Amino acid sequence: MTDILTALQMVLVPLNLMGLVFGVLVGIAFGCMPGLSVNMGLALLFPVAFSFHGIGGILMLLGIYCGAIYGGSISAILLKTPGTPASVATTLDGYPMATTLRQPGRALGLSTMASTFGGVFSTICLILLAPQLAKVALQFSKPEYFALAIFGLSIITSVSSGSVIKGIMGGLLGLFLATVGIDDMSGTIRFTLDTTYFLGGVSFIPVLIGVFAFAQVLSSVETYYHQKAVEQSMSIDSSLPSWADIKRVMITLVRSSCIGTFIGCVPGTGGDIASFVSYDQAKRWSKHSENFGKGEPEGIVASEAGNNSVSGGAFIPVLTLGIPGDGATAIMMGALMVQGLQPGPLLFVQKAPDVYAIFIGLLLANIVMGIMGFSLIKLFVKVVSVPIHILLPIIVMMTFVGTYSYNNSMNDVYLMVFSGFVGYFLNKLGFSMSAVIIGIILGSMAEQNFVGSLIMSDGSFSVFFTRPLCLFFLAAAALSLLSPFLGKLFKRA
Amino acid sequence: MKSMLHCNYLVGVLGALLGAMIMRAASAFPMAFTQNGPGPGFWPFSLGAALWFAAALLLVYSVTHKAELKEQEVSLTTAANKRVYILMAMVVVFCVLINLLGFYAAGLLLIPAIMVLMDYKNKIGLAVTAVGTMLFIFVVFALILGTKLPESIFLG
Repeated sequence: MTDILTALQMVLVPLNLMGLVFGVLVGIAFGCMPGLSVNMGLALLFPVAFSFHGIGGILMLLGIYCGAIYGGSISAILLKTPGTPASVATTLDGYPMATTLRQPGRALGLSTMASTFGGVFSTICLILLAPQLAKVALQFSKPEYFALAIFGLSIITSVSSGSVIKGIMGGLLGLFLATVGIDDMSGTIRFTLDTTYFLGGVSFIPVLIGVFAFAQVLSSVETYYHQKAVEQSMSIDSSLPSWADIKRVMITLVRSSCIGTFIGCVPGTGGDIASFVSYDQAKRWSKHSENFGKGEPEGIVASEAGNNSVSGGAFIPVLTLGIPGDGATAIMMGALMVQGLQPGPLLFVQKAPDVYAIFIGLLLANIVMGIMGFSLIKLFVKVVSVPIHILLPIIVMMTFVGTYSYNNSMNDVYLMVFSGFVGYFLNKLGFSMSAVIIGIILGSMAEQNFVGSLIMSDGSFSVFFTRPLCLFFLAAAALSLLSPFLGKLFKRA
Repeated sequence: MKSMLHCNYLVGVLGALLGAMIMRAASAFPMAFTQNGPGPGFWPFSLGAALWFAAALLLVYSVTHKAELKEQEVSLTTAANKRVYILMAMVVVFCVLINLLGFYAAGLLLIPAIMVLMDYKNKIGLAVTAVGTMLFIFVVFALILGTKLPESIFLG
């Protein structure tokens, strides 16, 4: 109870609350502008977030994370151009309701209600489940942690990348980059190219901004080549959902939130998968299944509750096991580590108030998101129309300022630009940037626990195969990597 | 346009080379097992070997899936790509200009340059966006957050 009160005190500091509200506002703006993404918003605001002391920066990033997932639905409904991949399914019924049925306010209201409900629901699940899972994870030792890092990386590379082999290569590259600098175990200086700049390792933030923000700008320049901005001239009257609509979608709302929370817990999945699975299930169980694709309220609610409820679910493996499920949670995990909070079960023991502050922050972020969604929708509708030729130069400048301001270092800027160039080409070649970033984040954990396990076993590799949980995670990792090939074999058979 | 097959060959060869380079660089460090565990070269050497193996696997996969990969096109030389390459060159020049002119002056040149590259020609719009953005950055970063952005070497 004392921990919860301390956490409340931390969150309710006016500056921290302002950071959270600002984060939600910026997140919604990033989400609703096509061409920008959740990862880009988080990466760009990462250095700024740490101008807030203590938990304030984390709260701001939580706000961006929740806001951006929701914001994607605004452009999906109004322009049929989802702001984020998680909102693709929302276009199926949101756009027809806004255009054919001429009810954009109703579509946006349903989307806001579903997003808020999904986010709050999954945060409650996080609050209830995470401490229990952390208790189990407290019994893990070094071999289990090593296996867990490999499992996390394998499942992400197999799901998030277009090609499993390229996903593995990206993950390995990330793991290697994490070895640069002074080795924590032996004190040896490795792969620093004889420069002092790399002594502390490859700086995480410039790489993050480079691959998630700068590379995305380059991709957008290519995507929007000669493409004129889509004008939208819909007038929004009221966006509050009617009682009849609420009754109609209630079951779908709860079902989709459960699906999204569960999918969010699985590393490598994300809002896009959750929204499509929720949409599919809603269509299957609905009494109005023939209306799906023509502006059905349940379709909008299923997709939005599904993708927003991923937010709480995705934090369960991050906080309890230290395994990020996707690029966005990898950035969040990086943010926690920069603040001296090492995600994992020990976090619940050693820094309980901070964990509760994260829970409260996530809950508040979702509530603030709902309030802003209903009250500021007309503003966000205008934001959707900001032309890309104005947006992109501003983002380019922000990548430079954000990178430089973190360490006041031009070397960081050069690294960011280099990472952006490489990220652009790797994206084109089918590599998953999330795999590289997660490799960098998990690299140190994987190596330290690998070495620690071998010390425990006097150099015998059998330690990884004789402990049931460790064996389970390694077998699951192998299975997830081989699953695409096994699937093809089964189909042929 | 290039086919994914050609790209995979290139990625496979480069990946194998990188893997070999990592193994070579890692072998300069002790790898033998001591009471402190394996030497500091062991883990990166294993990663290099795994990267080399994955690259080889990609080459084998590409050879065995030629028809499928030939159909997948990767655009690298279209007009849209050329626009990206011009932007990359502009960013490199911007990095040089930051040192010469300082961040704000270089930014006032880069923003309109990117907008013109994206076919926006309205001079007032160019000026307003450039000045507005730099003013926003100055107020938020310099005044509120106290970040000192790079200045011109001529002022130093």
